[in-house]
Amino acid sequence: MAGRGRGRGSNTSLTQEQMQALGIARGDNAPQILAPPPLFPKLETKPLPLNSDAATDYMVIVKDQFIEYLHESPAYVKANRETDGIERYSDKYKLLALDANKGRVLDCVWANFPPELRPQASRMRPSRKRKLDDSKDIEKRLQLLEKKETQENTNEMMATAGDDNKKQDDIDEDLEDEEEQEDEIDDGTDYANNYFDNGEDYEDEDDNLDDDPVY
Amino acid sequence: MSHQLGRLVAQILQRYCGEIVEKVGNDLFMYGSKPIAMIVKSTGLPRTQVIESLRTLMKFDLAMFEATGPHVDYRLLPENVLLLIRYPRYLLQMKSKYGTEAELIIEELLQQATCSATLLLVTIANKYKDDKDKNLTIVTLKDTFISLATAAYIQQAPVAEIKEGSEIPNLVQVATIVPDLDTRALMQAMANPVDIKDNIYWKVNYDRFHQDFRDDIMIKAMTRRIDDTAGEVMRLLLQQMYLSSAAWAEESNAIPVTDLRESSRLTDKILLHHHLEHYLKVMEENGAGFIRRAGDAGGGQYCVQAKVAAKLLVEDVLDHVVTERLGSKAARIFRLIRAKKYVEEEDIQKNAMLPNKECKQLTYKLLEEHFISVQPMRKSQQVSGTQKGIYLYHVKLFEAVHVCREMCYASLHNLSRARRQLVSEHGRALDKQRRVRTIVHGMRMRSETEESINDVLETLTPPEVNLLAQVEKQLKQLSTAELELDRNLFILNWYLHYP
Repeated sequence: MAGRGRGRGSNTSLTQEQMQALGIARGDNAPQILAPPPLFPKLETKPLPLNSDAATDYMVIVKDQFIEYLHESPAYVKANRETDGIERYSDKYKLLALDANKGRVLDCVWANFPPELRPQASRMRPSRKRKLDDSKDIEKRLQLLEKKETQENTNEMMATAGDDNKKQDDIDEDLEDEEEQEDEIDDGTDYANNYFDNGEDYEDEDDNLDDDPVY
Repeated sequence: MSHQLGRLVAQILQRYCGEIVEKVGNDLFMYGSKPIAMIVKSTGLPRTQVIESLRTLMKFDLAMFEATGPHVDYRLLPENVLLLIRYPRYLLQMKSKYGTEAELIIEELLQQATCSATLLLVTIANKYKDDKDKNLTIVTLKDTFISLATAAYIQQAPVAEIKEGSEIPNLVQVATIVPDLDTRALMQAMANPVDIKDNIYWKVNYDRFHQDFRDDIMIKAMTRRIDDTAGEVMRLLLQQMYLSSAAWAEESNAIPVTDLRESSRLTDKILLHHHLEHYLKVMEENGAGFIRRAGDAGGGQYCVQAKVAAKLLVEDVLDHVVTERLGSKAARIFRLIRAKKYVEEEDIQKNAMLPNKECKQLTYKLLEEHFISVQPMRKSQQVSGTQKGIYLYHVKLFEAVHVCREMCYASLHNLSRARRQLVSEHGRALDKQRRVRTIVHGMRMRSETEESINDVLETLTPPEVNLLAQVEKQLKQLSTAELELDRNLFILNWYLHYP
């Protein structure tokens, strides 16, 4: 910008004198380099040799030992291994090695940890309201079942001995269907959905995101 | 909290605790503190694995948690992650200073991170029960443990305090009380280690080790500058310093010569005792300012100037780095600028005794690498276009140290990376070697014939053996370089420690 005001017409920010003062003469300009610098530039000087004495050897060994210890302890978190579906002979041994480590939990002073990190943390999740806790619900449910039972009895009377089993299945299915419908009608909100968590899908999905604060 | 530090921390975590911990650690590093759910969201890992990783991080003091109400946020402690590299040095220090028992105790404690005294001692005793040449007994172990606790190499871990109505513990630092361990109880515990009910936990006090490292550096510096006896005097001074002032004080309280004389009598060096005053004089005048005469009362008083010492050592480190990176001529310019404080470009050229162009080039190179800074001064009165501004070059030591530290981080990262590359490239051969070694070890244990052992050994072909030897050498070199870099980092951090 400075150059523009003085009307020198040069497009560089430095004047000729300044360039000269910097040690750049006319025609001294280095050719423009268009390639990026090399990823691994050559070292101009050789690095100093590292001293290797008994103490250093000792430290190197101790370090490797510590890393090895960590790798074998549960502190080294391993991913759940995905298999490509091809069975191999070596799988047996690999799985054995995995299993040996799987059940182990890091040995910590749990009192110093927040509850969510403690091993029983999964069981300490807030218990959800169960559907049948309400006495009214229980009554309703019982009535429903009673009704079904009477229906079932009449059906059974009509059925012949041969297709009894088949019928039974059908009825069971009907019953389940009805139950489900009944449930859904229950109070119309999604609270009525089956929230029972047997802990099976705990591993693969985080299902209590909604418990956490939203930032 | 720089980019380089982040890369290094991730690399270390990867190497020590695996990729999943690395992911969690890196996530925490980038965002500061976070609750679990956010980590799960941003890393895309299953919740169980995040929890496991956090356990690992918390166990080894690599992360901490902060409770705000019912929520718990986790935060990574990068400086503690860097200490993982320093573990071997702690062990070496213990081994050379206090012997094998102390080394074993510290090693086990580093591995367990926190452990109760009884369990720790019992584990070690049981582990080396059959080892005849170590000849450990629970009594010597106990004594060593107590002396380590007295010397503050180990300290009590913080204790959890639970407030009413909340489940989240609040960690409170407690003063270390040297335990009174009962030998008989220990013996009993050794027999059945399951029912140990010791709930006072211990951990390694890194700071105490760092004080030791600092002392060693200062003593070594004196020894090299003057002679062994001067080093000994320095050691006595530091010993006295611990009695009267804070460990990391910039300048110690005045230490009377009479006290030094008293403690020098205990050492068996006659030379030291006879010439103590001379040595102190020489060290004061020619000891680069490590000590300072504080007064004449009581036959003279001296202060240890740790801050000055740190500054001098750091300057030396920087000189060294510049020399190795840009050559001795650049180092000369660097020293010149530092000596003159603020200096103009022309003056550098005059004083550095280098050809003009080369001098300029090197100065700019130094500037480019941020070893030196430039301060423009403009004369506002003169408006003429040809008027040049004055540029004063100077060394901002604090910034230069930061730059140097970044370099250390970068090269540590590179080393670790190179190592990983090397290991993955030769993974197959290394695996094979490991397997052969285990087999041979097993055969030796079963005392099988040499012939069959040789047969197994020969499964490694000569080219493989050559390759493995080469790889091993390279790996060792990388590890050594890492340790050396850590030494440098220690000095740099020591300087930055003083405000």
